[in-house]
Amino acid sequence: MRPLTEEETKTLFEKLAKYIGSNIKHLIDRPDETYCFRLHRDRVYYVSESIMRKAVSIGRDQLGSLGVCFGKMTKTGKFRLHITALDYLAQYAKHKMWVKPNGEMPFLYGNHVVKAHLGRVTEDTPEHQGVIILNMSDVPLGFGVTARSTTDSRKLQPTDIVAFHQADIGEYLREEDTLF
Amino acid sequence: MDVSSALEAHQNKFKSIEVEKLVPVEFDLNLLAAFDTNAIDEKKLSSKKENYLKELNRDNAQLLFNQIFKLPVESTDAGLLAKLPESSHILPREKALPKAKPMTRWEKFAQIKGIQKKKKERMVIDEATGEYSPRWGYGGGKKDKTKDWLLEVPSNVDPMEDQYAKLREEKKERVDKNKKRQKRNEEEASATSKGQDPRQVKKKQLQDAIAVTKRSTASLGRFDKHIEGEPKMKGMKRQFAPNITDSKVEKQASMDILNKVVGKNGEVLNVQKAVRQSKRARK
Repeated sequence: MRPLTEEETKTLFEKLAKYIGSNIKHLIDRPDETYCFRLHRDRVYYVSESIMRKAVSIGRDQLGSLGVCFGKMTKTGKFRLHITALDYLAQYAKHKMWVKPNGEMPFLYGNHVVKAHLGRVTEDTPEHQGVIILNMSDVPLGFGVTARSTTDSRKLQPTDIVAFHQADIGEYLREEDTLF
Repeated sequence: MDVSSALEAHQNKFKSIEVEKLVPVEFDLNLLAAFDTNAIDEKKLSSKKENYLKELNRDNAQLLFNQIFKLPVESTDAGLLAKLPESSHILPREKALPKAKPMTRWEKFAQIKGIQKKKKERMVIDEATGEYSPRWGYGGGKKDKTKDWLLEVPSNVDPMEDQYAKLREEKKERVDKNKKRQKRNEEEASATSKGQDPRQVKKKQLQDAIAVTKRSTASLGRFDKHIEGEPKMKGMKRQFAPNITDSKVEKQASMDILNKVVGKNGEVLNVQKAVRQSKRARK
């Protein structure tokens, strides 16, 4: 476990900013407790300072996980978000997309969101923008990247993709062993 | 008196000068050598070795002498001498054939373009004096203008400019440029002769040079600015911030990075939204 380097923090923030923009500051600067980002075995964890201080006393090999895993640093130095970060992303998301009940299961099995399943979307969402995907009763299901802007997606066919799948809560089952 | 029987008897005492061989023997009379390529009789060689070899030698020597006696002769004070022909035998090389020199950049270019090298005479006539002088080298070439006692100042230049200095500088530039190319050709040739890609060799050299300069600062390059695509240094330890520090400092550091990433004002301008809002305002 170690703090992120400047470079790593930058790549992490760049990825997070695609979903929550400047709301990252609410993650760093919290009124309740001080939270920080820590890297452990290539995974980035968002953890409160008190837990982090306790985890320091656990050996590197013995420490499995701490706090909330936000994702992992790939070997090429990029950052990949995990579905475990959904709680925080959904809370601060700038752009959201709601899927109809008949589109919930296809998305949860790892498919892209098609126009036919699109229930609602935040106004003025640009193209290739990170969005949080929710069902109609506002339960976050995962996140993705828009294929078209809101205005462009009006003209699409029902079978055309409106958002590319990035992560969904089905991964809690599918990728149980590598997720945390 | 019939002497034929006596002659025959005398002749029978000696062996015939006629020797028959299955494969004709080759000669190089200049070297006084005969090359017999006939197969050796294995049986005779094992049973009567000495005898057989003597016999074989005599026959071949006889053939050689027959050839020598066919040669034209000339009489000198020392007696009759045969004139030996030119040697027909080619000795194999002692050393391997020299390897072709690697082509220079110009030679490669000329080959692609089909430019042929023209043979030029060493001496050329100097039209001003009407005398022959070498095309280049000592006493030849374009006469070195820097040695002239007077130089013309072109009308379109600064009159105070030193024309001699200008010429000297131009010449130095030409020489330096040629030297640089010569060096490059040598480097490329040495790389290709070792079967390496010259570009890769050059890249390796540059990377090594970077590595040396990085290590030569007091901090072993720890605080140097990182260049994109810079090779990873071996033996240089990364240093991470300690796990437990002042939380305020850490928070501030992350905030600084965040400000760089998303900009101080927070959001980037959403163009579509802005356009729509301005349209609404006009209505």
